Amino acid sequence: MVDIDLSQPPFTLLDETGREWVRGGVDLAYFDNDEIVLDAGQPGEFVYVIHKGEIAELDTSMSRSQARIGHYTTGDLFGAISILNGKSRYRFQAEQESLCYLLPKALFEQLCDTYPAFAEFFRQRLSEKARLLTEHRTQGGVTMAGFMLASVSECMRNPLVVSSQTSIAQAVAELNHSQADSLLVGEGHRFGMVTKTDLLNALVVEGVSQETPVLTIAHFALVSVRPDQYLFEALVDMTRHQVSRVVVTEADKPVGVVELTDVLSYFSSRSYVVSLQVEQATSLDELVRASSRTPELVQALMAQGVKLRFAMGLLGALNGRIMAKAWRFLVDEPYCDRTCLMVMGSEGRGEQILKTDQDNGLILPDDLEWPDCRQRMDAFTDVLIRMGYPPCPGNIMVSNPAWVGTQTEWRQRIDRWVAHRDGDSLMNLAILLDAHAVAGDARLLESLRESLFASCAGNELLLSYFARTALRFSTPLTLFGTLKKPQHGIDIKKGGIFPIVHGVRTLALERSIHPTSTLDRLEALVEDGRLDARFADDLGEALSLFTELRLRQQLERLHDTEPEQQDSRLVVQQLSSLERDLLREALHIVKDFKQRLSHRFHLEY
Amino acid sequence: MLRTLRRAADRRRQAGGDFGWLFNPYTGNELVAIDCETTGLDPRRAELVSIAAVTIRGERVITSESLDLRMQCPASLDGDSIRIHGLRSVDLEGGECVGDALARLMDFVGNRPLLGWCVEYDVAVINRQLRPRFGFDLPNALIDVSHRYAREMRRKHPELDPDRGFESMAHMLDVPVMGRHTALGDAVTTALMYLRLQRRVLRVG
Repeated sequence: MVDIDLSQPPFTLLDETGREWVRGGVDLAYFDNDEIVLDAGQPGEFVYVIHKGEIAELDTSMSRSQARIGHYTTGDLFGAISILNGKSRYRFQAEQESLCYLLPKALFEQLCDTYPAFAEFFRQRLSEKARLLTEHRTQGGVTMAGFMLASVSECMRNPLVVSSQTSIAQAVAELNHSQADSLLVGEGHRFGMVTKTDLLNALVVEGVSQETPVLTIAHFALVSVRPDQYLFEALVDMTRHQVSRVVVTEADKPVGVVELTDVLSYFSSRSYVVSLQVEQATSLDELVRASSRTPELVQALMAQGVKLRFAMGLLGALNGRIMAKAWRFLVDEPYCDRTCLMVMGSEGRGEQILKTDQDNGLILPDDLEWPDCRQRMDAFTDVLIRMGYPPCPGNIMVSNPAWVGTQTEWRQRIDRWVAHRDGDSLMNLAILLDAHAVAGDARLLESLRESLFASCAGNELLLSYFARTALRFSTPLTLFGTLKKPQHGIDIKKGGIFPIVHGVRTLALERSIHPTSTLDRLEALVEDGRLDARFADDLGEALSLFTELRLRQQLERLHDTEPEQQDSRLVVQQLSSLERDLLREALHIVKDFKQRLSHRFHLEY
Repeated sequence: MLRTLRRAADRRRQAGGDFGWLFNPYTGNELVAIDCETTGLDPRRAELVSIAAVTIRGERVITSESLDLRMQCPASLDGDSIRIHGLRSVDLEGGECVGDALARLMDFVGNRPLLGWCVEYDVAVINRQLRPRFGFDLPNALIDVSHRYAREMRRKHPELDPDRGFESMAHMLDVPVMGRHTALGDAVTTALMYLRLQRRVLRVG
């Protein structure tokens, strides 16, 4: 009977008997400040679980300042690897008075023998542990209730109603125009349903002429629901009657249609609804409304345990559509098709999740005259601000003439940046390298990228300067120790995300790799033979972890308005012990990557 | 004085009995922390509900070597004490009779010194049950952490009036309270407090 918390992995991998063994088999010990718990080279006798206190992991072969390689606090577990390897590689030293549970070696080995999953846990790599974390979280199913309680009215489409005189040809035209799958045809007080399949069968199988009234092929036996019913009731009705759409009626009048695909998308994610709203928006106001729902969508996806990579992809596509649509509303023919609007920075990489600053630019073809370009671009920036994309503090926006130009002007800029190689030029190159076309003629950007690669790829000196930036911020390997107050946290953006993104970007520039997202670049680099698949995998997983931790923090702070809350510091003590474990490993991967970079680009001095 | 005489008498009487070895002097480095949950606070009337004991070896609390005994429901078990230790008569079903429990306790403790928070009280309650059944009192040396604590506090902070309450002691010694008001939890916490006192760590706050 001890107060040991067994609700976190790896103890969740045991069954109740195993947990009972742990509870009955552990001892307690106190370690004073600076006391050595387990020295390097000592055989591992116990697995330690910290009940209270902090323990540092030190590499005794390194100099004092670099010795510290890990940090453990309440709820963390260490010493297991020492048992598996026979002796400890590092020294574990108490940084505070610490109370630890001691799980004897014999019991640990017995647990490993009896529970293979438990043993496996200590041999796993980061990506496998991350999967565990996701599973652990989805068990919560926090917002699932929200989905189960959704009502029909939240998911129905407006019905497409046509009069009884409408012909089949008109009906098809009407369906195409409103991007619907079915329509209702009214006759007196009755309404009949006609689906695309019905039309197809009538025209092809039965050979009815196109002028036949659509009324003749309509079904009048309809399954109907009320708008205030639960959405899953509609789903049950569809399953029972084997139909894929139901009509929503209120006071005997059809007010909407619920399609099976909509319901399923709604239950799997609300993405479909948001993208539907974006597609169907016919004015800027509607677009603004649709775009304001994206944070809620992210929250829902995360709660369901959707892998961040896919969530990012979805959001990237959605944001792209929103911008493209806004572009169409604001810019007239022929300019909107002949120019190329590109987004850059994290948006270009498709890695922003919540709305980040707008980083965008415009490429004009050499032979285009556009007199009021400046005014139009100012208006476009203002619209994006209205839609919730804050202006870029570095003024990398289409409203800034430095980021608008013809193809020739852009090429001259690139040449100038390459020649200068100073801080700003390198940053501009990095930004441009991530550019992704969202509207207009994407070929303009492709040809620009080609010339960018042509002038950079072989330029070792430039690459070396370019790579150096990745080493600019030190990796916070000591999660808490070096900070004055624990609540200061660590800067996950500078310490984790930036080195990976920039390092991978450098390698992509070196190898002229076209994709812009970091994960895609990693894949391409593996194919290219530049990185081995295992390391690329770990890097991608580390990046996902950082992004996810950062995102969760942003979501929590979504409603805070105080500006000092809006930084990217992560308070490590608030994480669960498994998350801390993952973070520790991910930061080690970053450190390893930085070492490889400095070796490749000769940055040691 | 009376106690010493009694112990001498007990010892002579038990010399050839089953528990004679309890009276041998102890030479090892182990201690046993004990705690009892009882039906009241008056040692002349309170009856045992549960007894727990845990070994301290060197610097470690050996929670894997511990004893946790529940008694048969005593007649005086009422709402007031249930509220404290949370053991209802239902929970005590299948508990041991007092005689067996005490025999097991003595087997576990042996002649090692006993440690407790206000250990005199626990031992008084035990002895009241022990003497009629076995004919002797517990002969073990007793260590009371609350005395140790008060002494340490007087030495380090003579200006403070030490609060010897269980929780405030745990707080001052920076010891987490494990399962308060379960016999084993309190015994473990007591053991931890003792280890802290041995290291002379005090937090004034």
